[in-house]
Amino acid sequence: MDPNNTDTATAITTTTAGEAPAGDLLLSAHLWLSYGKKPPVLRDLDLDIRRGEVLGLVGQSGSGKSTLAMAILGLLDRRQAHIEGTVGFDGSDLLRVSEPDLRALRGRKLALVLQSPLSSLNPALKIRTQLKEAWRAHASGSKADCAAAIGAALQSVSLPPSDEFLRKYPSQMSVGQAQRVLIAMAVMHRPSLLIADEATSALDVITQSEILALFRELNRSFGMAILYISHDLASVAGICDRIAILHEGQIVEAGTTEQVLTRPCHQYTQRLMAAMPKLLQPQRLAKAASV
Amino acid sequence: MSISRTNIWRGLACAVLLLVVSASLAANWLAPAGYAKQYREAADASPSRQHWLGTDEIGRDRFARVLYGTRISLLLAPAAALLSTLMAALIGGLAGYLGGGWARCAMAVTDLFLSLPWLFLLITVRAVMPLNVSPMVSVLVTFLMLGLLGWTSAARVLCSTAGSLRDSDFVRQAKASGIPGTRLFWIHVLPNLKPVLYAQFWISIPAFILSEANLGILGLGVAEPMPSWGSLLKELEGLVSVGEEPWKFVPLILLVVVVTSFQLVLSKQDEVAA
Amino acid sequence: MTDLQGRLAVMETTCRKILLGIACLGILAGSALAQGELRFCLRSEPKTFDPLQVEDESSGAIRYLTGGVLVRLNRQTQALEPELAQSWKVSKDGKQITFKLRSGLSFSDGTAFSAEDVAYTVKQLMDPALHSPTGDTFRSGPGNVETNIISATQISITFPAPVAGLDRQFDQVAILSAHSAKKEMAVLGPFMVSDYKPGSTVLLKRNPNYWKTDAQGRKLPYLDSIKLDIQPNRDVEMLRFKRGEIDLINTLDSEYFDKLAATSPQLVHDAGPSLDSEQMWFNEVARAPLPAYKKTWFRSANFRRAISAAINRDDLARVVFRGHAQAAVGPVSPANKFWFNARLKPETHSSDAALKALQGEGFRLENGTLKDVGGNAVVFSIITNSGNKYRERMATMIQEDLQKIGIQVNVVTLDFPSLIERMTQTFDYEAVLLGLTNVGLDPSEQMNVWLSSSENHQWNPSEKTPETAWEAEIDRLMRAQASSADAKKRKESFDRVQEIAVEQAPFIYLVNRNALSAVAATVQGATPVILVPQTYWDADRLTIEQQGATAAK
Ligand SMILES: Nc1ncnc2c1ncn2[C@@H]1O[C@H](COP(=O)(O)OP(=O)(O)OP(=O)(O)O)[C@@H](O)[C@H]1O
Ligand SMILES: [Mg+2]
Repeated sequence: MDPNNTDTATAITTTTAGEAPAGDLLLSAHLWLSYGKKPPVLRDLDLDIRRGEVLGLVGQSGSGKSTLAMAILGLLDRRQAHIEGTVGFDGSDLLRVSEPDLRALRGRKLALVLQSPLSSLNPALKIRTQLKEAWRAHASGSKADCAAAIGAALQSVSLPPSDEFLRKYPSQMSVGQAQRVLIAMAVMHRPSLLIADEATSALDVITQSEILALFRELNRSFGMAILYISHDLASVAGICDRIAILHEGQIVEAGTTEQVLTRPCHQYTQRLMAAMPKLLQPQRLAKAASV
Repeated sequence: MSISRTNIWRGLACAVLLLVVSASLAANWLAPAGYAKQYREAADASPSRQHWLGTDEIGRDRFARVLYGTRISLLLAPAAALLSTLMAALIGGLAGYLGGGWARCAMAVTDLFLSLPWLFLLITVRAVMPLNVSPMVSVLVTFLMLGLLGWTSAARVLCSTAGSLRDSDFVRQAKASGIPGTRLFWIHVLPNLKPVLYAQFWISIPAFILSEANLGILGLGVAEPMPSWGSLLKELEGLVSVGEEPWKFVPLILLVVVVTSFQLVLSKQDEVAA
Repeated sequence: MTDLQGRLAVMETTCRKILLGIACLGILAGSALAQGELRFCLRSEPKTFDPLQVEDESSGAIRYLTGGVLVRLNRQTQALEPELAQSWKVSKDGKQITFKLRSGLSFSDGTAFSAEDVAYTVKQLMDPALHSPTGDTFRSGPGNVETNIISATQISITFPAPVAGLDRQFDQVAILSAHSAKKEMAVLGPFMVSDYKPGSTVLLKRNPNYWKTDAQGRKLPYLDSIKLDIQPNRDVEMLRFKRGEIDLINTLDSEYFDKLAATSPQLVHDAGPSLDSEQMWFNEVARAPLPAYKKTWFRSANFRRAISAAINRDDLARVVFRGHAQAAVGPVSPANKFWFNARLKPETHSSDAALKALQGEGFRLENGTLKDVGGNAVVFSIITNSGNKYRERMATMIQEDLQKIGIQVNVVTLDFPSLIERMTQTFDYEAVLLGLTNVGLDPSEQMNVWLSSSENHQWNPSEKTPETAWEAEIDRLMRAQASSADAKKRKESFDRVQEIAVEQAPFIYLVNRNALSAVAATVQGATPVILVPQTYWDADRLTIEQQGATAAK
């Protein structure tokens, strides 16, 4: 994190932490979901997220992780995706909340960072415009207020809030930069839950660890809960408080990182563990997680 | 290397446009006798010192008519093109973006529009229009009609483009940021329809100029004595060979040059921007 | 010719083009051997080969070339000449005509010709069930037409009421055979239809039984055949003429004429002013959906005369028609030798006189705008049919002429059906500029334009009773000329009609277009005239020079 920003970050930490002590249930989903007439993607899925925690959601490609993320935010076209169940959040069921109410939650309380950073930014718009739009969605104020908010958001993801950078188009940025911009957009209104879908899969190892560190920092300083989605158990282990394993449309195992990594119960989790490179032994990972 | 060459072309195109526009604006000074004066003793004359581009069939100074005609066509054809482009964007783009029943409905309307007997419809329009409209009003009505009718084929393309944009990651991401639907359309969908819209706009201008000429047949075009590029181009109809009376081709050359110049100037800007 | 609407329909194709290609072998040798083919174009598909059913131009051309008539109007001298009838006599009361026929003639199929055939033809002509358009001109009143065969070569025909110009009307009546099995395909004219390919060609072969001979006693016609190509496109026609594929263009417009004249002046013929006129008129219909003050202008003869004076007709003829037209005088073209009222002179163009006349009516010029007594600016629209550049140009020139006396004219071009609808149904127009194609010379053909009760009384159709004294007077004069058999008296009446028409200016006559045609150098003996069919009216005496054919073979 930018050292210049430490003051603000700390200040926020105190307030947020005060309001939202970690441990309460923030979101609780119980879902069935199918696309069209195809067999369901999510079957009787149960997922709880607590305030301020970092929850890792692990599953193999095609297991329905992104689908779940979008279902929570109500981004799926209900003409195609049939959803049943409940998504409890802040006392209301997101599946039954009206579109305007849902819109008011998106970006303000619930934020999402999509899987592929470059295609998630509008190629025709400058970065500044996209950030401005994200800010405008839930705030009103002068141009200066807007600029200040954008500056703060960029700094919180260690990007230069310079005019030169803001004038860029997505095509003029690296994938890592684009990913940070997306995160900056997502955290602009300090949501209580950030869903990060494969936020690091497209990145090289160094950048990956930087982003992970960023998440941890955001989690700590803003007290924001993070649903960290990944197909890669190793990266999840690094930052998550708890881990849930998604397999065949269901959460087959959920528990603290240590529990899941050291004493996996489900067969599928065990297979996942076995597939991990030798270098990252479960014990060492568990240790890392407890840091 | 490419930059300097691009710049030369752009500069040239700018200069051409500037020249054409200022000449047409200065028509009152450059051709003080006006576009309607009939030099009946010198009808269908070849170029001379008095008449730089000769005279038309009833002795009107062709140079004056080209200048005034340029003023009209250059102002109104792009205006009509803009109108039709906007309509295409709104109807096609919005329907595609909303998807589902909306898209089907809009495409049905578009198909209906495409299949309508236009000639018949335009004749009806002429029938309900009063006969005694001044030439200026006739010009405006003509281009308004063109603008209102010319959007259909572009709307089809836009509808499918907007449909795929709706499912794109960045629109989903923007939606996840809580940006409301209408804003989403204006800010995230429309700008990405730009290439199609540009194409529609540039294709429409020459098409409208020519249609305006043809509409004259239905009594809907620019009324006499007012000139337009369309009515000037109509002179070429009966011409047998290019060599015979080359000065009569000036309006055609002007049309091509102006449209090309516009394209050069604007497409380059676009590229730099992107 | 009186049916204006019919005219209008034909108007688009005012030019008739006919190409005759004749190859004649050994003209110098003086032998009777005829050879060669004349080729020209028909503008449209012929609708019928039945001479009594002819309505369209193409069928008319075929009737002219194949049909034998009792009397023929000489297209050059405009005099009536004996044909199948050696002589004829019209009774004093104009109801009866007696023909003395030539003897020993036979139809193309060999059937003999006699008074019986004439009686049969007249019966068919007047049969109400057959609706012969040619017969309409003979229907002067209720009652039956009686034919009386006096002998094999003598017949008298009696009509229930006098028929104006009775003898001349028989120029249009091709005699049918009463007995031939070939029905109307058995003909008495110089040619007969031998082959017809719809959409493509009509081939006429010489009639071996044609009765005429030339001064040297050689059998006519000289030509072997006439090939008529159906070709609506005038550019194609012109191109084919230039390539030598056709031999005649019956009517050319002035632009084509000048183009052709520029390269080959010997091929084009300007026969002078034709019967056709271009004219303009104001809407004088009382119930027309127009503001009352405009109706007052249009119904004022002084207003109409002033407009007429303000129009520079010479400029129209010179600029629009490149000199191939003449300022019109009145309802009858000076080309109509007998009926034209020679006392009438072309209107002298004068903006000042026009303005003065208008001021006399209470109009005044204010800042370059003419206003009427009520202070209304004088603005009106002239409608004309779109696609006719000559009319568009005339309208634009009139627009400028009237601008000079402060009148704003809006020129509107309309497609033909809309134009007709406004003119005849809704009366939602102010002024019209159109042309009138005149085929016949006799005033009785203009009857339905001039009678105030007629539908084709264009400026104010179907009046229950004449709305003005001058219209009543025209009605009286027209009826008088129609019911008289005395040519002199008829001429007196019709002269007066022409004078009233000029004084009152219900039609403002603009120009008479010249009859322009083109004839290939290979065609010998062609003398284009102003009457239809301009170039091949003497087709039986045309020949074709051999050189082309020889060179080709
Ligand atoms: N719009 C859709 N229509 C129909 N089926 C879909 C749709 N989107 C996803 N699916 C299907 O749903 C299943 C889950 O897809 P999803 O994208 O949620 O997987 P994922 O776990 O995110 O995979 P990855 O790790 O590759 O991102 C897949 O089988 C996919 O084919
Ligand atoms: Mg995914």
